[in-house]
Amino acid sequence: MTSRAEQSLGYVILGVFSLIALLPVAGIVFTALQDPDGFAAFGSIDGLHFSNFTTAWDEANFGTYLKNSVFVTVVVVSVSSVLSILAGYAFGLMRFRGSTVLFYVFLLGLMVPMEAIIVPLYYEMRDNWKLQNTYWSIILPQIATSVAFGTFWMRTYFRSVPRSLVEAARLDGASSWFTLWRVLLPLAKPAVLTMGVLLFMWTWNEFLLVLVMITDDSKLTAPLGLSVFQGRNTSDLTLMAAGSVIVALPVVIVYVFLQRHFIRGMLSGAVKG
Amino acid sequence: MASVRFDAVGKRFGSVEAVRELSLEIADGEFMVLVGPSGSGKTTALRMLAGLEAISAGSIFIGDKRVNDVAPRERDIAMVFQDYALYPQMSVFDNLAFGLRRRKVASDEIKRRVEEAARVLDMSELLARKPGQLSGGQAQRVALGRALVREPQVFLMDEPLSNLDAKLRTQTRGEIRRLQQEVETTTVYVTHDQVEAMTMGDRIAVMNDGRLEQVGTPEELYERPANRFVAGFIGSPSMSFFTGPEVGLTLPRNGAVVGVRPEHVRPWREGLIGPLKGRVAFVEALGRETFVGVDVGEARLVVFEEGRAVRDVGDEIEFGLVESGLRYFSSESGAAL
Ligand SMILES: Nc1ncnc2c1ncn2[C@@H]1O[C@H](COP(=O)(O)OP(=O)(O)OP(=O)(O)O)[C@@H](O)[C@H]1O
Ligand SMILES: [Mg+2]
Repeated sequence: MTSRAEQSLGYVILGVFSLIALLPVAGIVFTALQDPDGFAAFGSIDGLHFSNFTTAWDEANFGTYLKNSVFVTVVVVSVSSVLSILAGYAFGLMRFRGSTVLFYVFLLGLMVPMEAIIVPLYYEMRDNWKLQNTYWSIILPQIATSVAFGTFWMRTYFRSVPRSLVEAARLDGASSWFTLWRVLLPLAKPAVLTMGVLLFMWTWNEFLLVLVMITDDSKLTAPLGLSVFQGRNTSDLTLMAAGSVIVALPVVIVYVFLQRHFIRGMLSGAVKG
Repeated sequence: MASVRFDAVGKRFGSVEAVRELSLEIADGEFMVLVGPSGSGKTTALRMLAGLEAISAGSIFIGDKRVNDVAPRERDIAMVFQDYALYPQMSVFDNLAFGLRRRKVASDEIKRRVEEAARVLDMSELLARKPGQLSGGQAQRVALGRALVREPQVFLMDEPLSNLDAKLRTQTRGEIRRLQQEVETTTVYVTHDQVEAMTMGDRIAVMNDGRLEQVGTPEELYERPANRFVAGFIGSPSMSFFTGPEVGLTLPRNGAVVGVRPEHVRPWREGLIGPLKGRVAFVEALGRETFVGVDVGEARLVVFEEGRAVRDVGDEIEFGLVESGLRYFSSESGAAL
């Protein structure tokens, strides 16, 4: 048991760190709500002026950028989730020749940062695949990196499932396929949703890859769109803040809706992995 | 229903020989218990029969069919796992129906069989619940029910009672036995508890270090153990071992190790072999009977007394042996003489 004093101290420490984490966010939001014609100052409040959002939306073409982002993110997250579940199932519960070596190859994909491969990847896409400046050039590499993480994540989860459950299903006459979708996956909901949130966040926020691959303004994703917008409006702080809020909002919404599962998934990973 | 035959079956895990040259025939409808200390290969033998573990050597037959290369789901067996392995997200009804649905049994037939099993196991009111809402004993019954509805060729059970408390264990023991006699399905039951083995098995196979030490009815194992290991493993408190010279007796087979069970070691009276004198090392008073551990020279024997005997550690005690209860074992190989 922790004493009252210890508990209060705990709350104070958590409070301070929450403040540190939340202050810049609040600052952006407040700035975005300032009077567009007044004197802009970061983080101060002078009323609620929602017009900044509409202005930013119209001027910066956020509609197109967000549409691109949604398209790319949905494709990347859904395709890599399915692939990760399948690969994680194989690595976690099946015995096959070369599984260890293969798994290390997957891990490699998890450990090599995008910065390290971006240059060869660019030439590969441009010269061999002729995909430069298409959605494919940002979707395919992100599926690859997402599957590396997702496989690792799902394998850890499948390893934590009692083996006897899978064996009971086998003896009951279920195929591997049926066991995965009907017996294991309903239990895996927190793990799968957590993976989904993480992949969503990473894909949504990906910057470097899009910057290198896409030259056509109409194919940019939201973070790139924001940076283009910034290039044009360096002086207008309020509009910039409004744009940032628009770009960040989808991630926040997804997180808020799934946070209960997310925390459960993180915890079960922490305890069992 | 079907018989089961292990023919010189072996299993290696890398350098570990978990099961060696196991040959065992289980008759149709028989309740066979595999018993032995931890790590003796019981689970491994059972899992090879289920098809969950590949067979390294020899053959396993179910009925007349060699099943070495038959997939688990085609072997038509049902298994009760130690941790029950119920599907957590499905209701009890769906847990029981799962295997039948996979085998394309008609849905009114499924309903009939599940309700029948629920009735037999007295758990009709549990059918709508999820496994998370069951007590340990209830979950155990559901696991049994799931095996029962399948009406398989063979039941396999791996320590199904080990997660229950003592009272429930005794009760469920009787229940499993009763059910098995009713449906007459061949059953292989693994346990490391010799009391379970003695009370449940038609026959018992004693395993030790991957080897089969002896197969026989409970009486045979108790009365005529094939070797020192079986003699010491079956019976509680276990058989005491000593040599004639250790206790100062001249016995018919000189040089052999003598084994004697507590009920054949009694406080001294005429007609016993003895008298022997020793010091009390421990007293186990169970109410109806008392077991007294006695040190005689290097040897320790357990004396059986009716009722609650009043003895203290360190007391001198005079006792004797019932001649018909003495068993002799080779001092080298341990085999019964
Ligand atoms: N998957 C495995 N990999 C390596 N060794 C194993 C494996 N399974 C079992 N063994 C080894 O095989 C031997 C027999 O194990 P087994 O589980 O069959 O024993 P058991 O008689 O069921 O014991 P217990 O009463 O403890 O359940 C042990 O030495 C064990 O360490
Ligand atoms: Mg075992």
